[in-house]
Amino acid sequence: MRRLFSRRNVVAAGLVFFAVLPFVANPYVIFIGNLALMYILLSVGLNMLLGYAGQLAFAHAALFGVGAYTTGLLKLELDLHYGLALVAGVGLATVTGLAVAMPALRLRGLYLALATVAFAQATLWVFTHWNSVTYGGAGFRVPPLDFEPFTPRPDIGVYALTYVIVLASVPLGWNLLRSRVGRAWVAIRESEVAAESLGIDITRYKAIAYVVSAMYAGTAGGLFAGMLGIVTPESFDLFQVIVHFCMVIVGGLGSIWGGVIGAVGLVGLQEVLRAFRHLQEIAFGGLILFTVLVIPGGAVSLLKRYLPGWKEPLRRTEHDE
Amino acid sequence: MSESIPPGGNPPAAAAAAAAEPDGERERPVSKLRASGISISFGGLKALDSVSIDVDPGEIRGIIGPNGAGKTTLLNVICGIDPPDHGAVWLDEQPINGLKTSQIADRGIGRTFQTTKLFKGMTVLENVMTGLHGKMRASPLAAAFSMRSVLREEAEAARRAREVLEFVRMLEFADDEATSLSFGQQRLVEIARALVSEPQVLLLDEPAVGLSLTRVAEVDELLRRIRRERGVTILMIEHVIRLVMGVCDRITVLNSGRKIADGTAEEVMADREVAEAYLGAELDA
Repeated sequence: MRRLFSRRNVVAAGLVFFAVLPFVANPYVIFIGNLALMYILLSVGLNMLLGYAGQLAFAHAALFGVGAYTTGLLKLELDLHYGLALVAGVGLATVTGLAVAMPALRLRGLYLALATVAFAQATLWVFTHWNSVTYGGAGFRVPPLDFEPFTPRPDIGVYALTYVIVLASVPLGWNLLRSRVGRAWVAIRESEVAAESLGIDITRYKAIAYVVSAMYAGTAGGLFAGMLGIVTPESFDLFQVIVHFCMVIVGGLGSIWGGVIGAVGLVGLQEVLRAFRHLQEIAFGGLILFTVLVIPGGAVSLLKRYLPGWKEPLRRTEHDE
Repeated sequence: MSESIPPGGNPPAAAAAAAAEPDGERERPVSKLRASGISISFGGLKALDSVSIDVDPGEIRGIIGPNGAGKTTLLNVICGIDPPDHGAVWLDEQPINGLKTSQIADRGIGRTFQTTKLFKGMTVLENVMTGLHGKMRASPLAAAFSMRSVLREEAEAARRAREVLEFVRMLEFADDEATSLSFGQQRLVEIARALVSEPQVLLLDEPAVGLSLTRVAEVDELLRRIRRERGVTILMIEHVIRLVMGVCDRITVLNSGRKIADGTAEEVMADREVAEAYLGAELDA
């Protein structure tokens, strides 16, 4: 039983599940599966900045939005190839992430939080009010995507693309974390003074964390625009910030697998509560509180405690194990 | 990301040094680590007032003094955490003040802290490997793709970390969560983390504080081995008099931000001002 739920088996089962899903499920379920895959990117990316590097920054949802708007608008206005539009979306989100990082590098804790919340709100304001470009509060429709000759169905095309990107970028993140970059991030999180005294350039490594997490957010944004077919500002508001934080915290801060588990689990929860948006907000807030108070290591810490083979580099464990 | 303090932007380092020189010590050919005329204030409180210190290659130097004497501040100035208002620091006669802390670490100054700062969430081995950060070259891109050169570098880093853990006799704990160790064990790991990059100078902030007598003897022996086998010069703050008197070649005494004595254990013990600082002025007999 314990062997059955080893990490290798669970990951393999997850991969098979998401690979088979588009062949057997109806379009609605495929969309939800696609959403879950996309949130894995958001959650893993945010976890690098928040969980590993320890930077309490709230700009992630806005960068997600920058990726979605850029990709969607390039497709709409210039009829750019979706792949190119996606790359451009990732690029602009990354540049924006770096632009946020520049002032943010000087800030810590509460001040960093306030500055990045302000950035998120300002971005939302631009999405809503820059009518001539963003089409304002009502947003715009993204022209249907074309995945010929691979598949006649655009939804399955985006799904497959998301699947492949997740399959590539989660291992890339894992590699990064088990290198000196991951160790530098955790060192910065635990003690900036000690990190510096070991020769870690904390400004540089914080900037790297912002850039990498922005790349994940921008990629997710571009995919989101493609899968939903409509881009509106309300997809990137403060509730989105809460969703991202909830995934990372409930799944497990400072754990790649925690990010994956949080994303898949919370997309499921969000679907259950789809009809009650206000209940969603309460449920997500409550879940964050519950996790912080009862299982501070997140869901993944339970797996680590009870099941073998869930160890990972730079693991964050509780001492009561 | 330019340096926050331009070289020499610290009130003219050279001038301050020149001014501090006359009251400097006797002539020495080469010093390993030299700080001259260091002054620094925190919000009107003068933490250090024109303090100079000159450490020979291979020396074990102790810094003692009552609480609030400025001992930790002096270490922070040397490793660039607190830039001084006046004065300059040289490593191998090369000025190092104005450099970032991480650059000073790369030049070969290792550091431990008064309250152990092991990184939570890392194993003992990962903690020590973090000490090799400045010696490693992997770029984020190469690391993400786990290029062969990165894997080779990681393996080499792990090997060196194990070697230094063996040196401090903590190898058996390599895969334990670092912060689950006992206090004394954590201190040893912190020393290993500072040693792994093969620094020329080690700054230790109370390595024996809170340790049992047997542990203190172990630290004494470890410090001698660090000097003998690794050729490291040590500058340490310590309150455990048995350790200071036993292992240090020379001792510098600070009191209220000023240096009041500097010499061998016997010389310092015989110093009237030192006795007054520790026991109160009424001692004149």
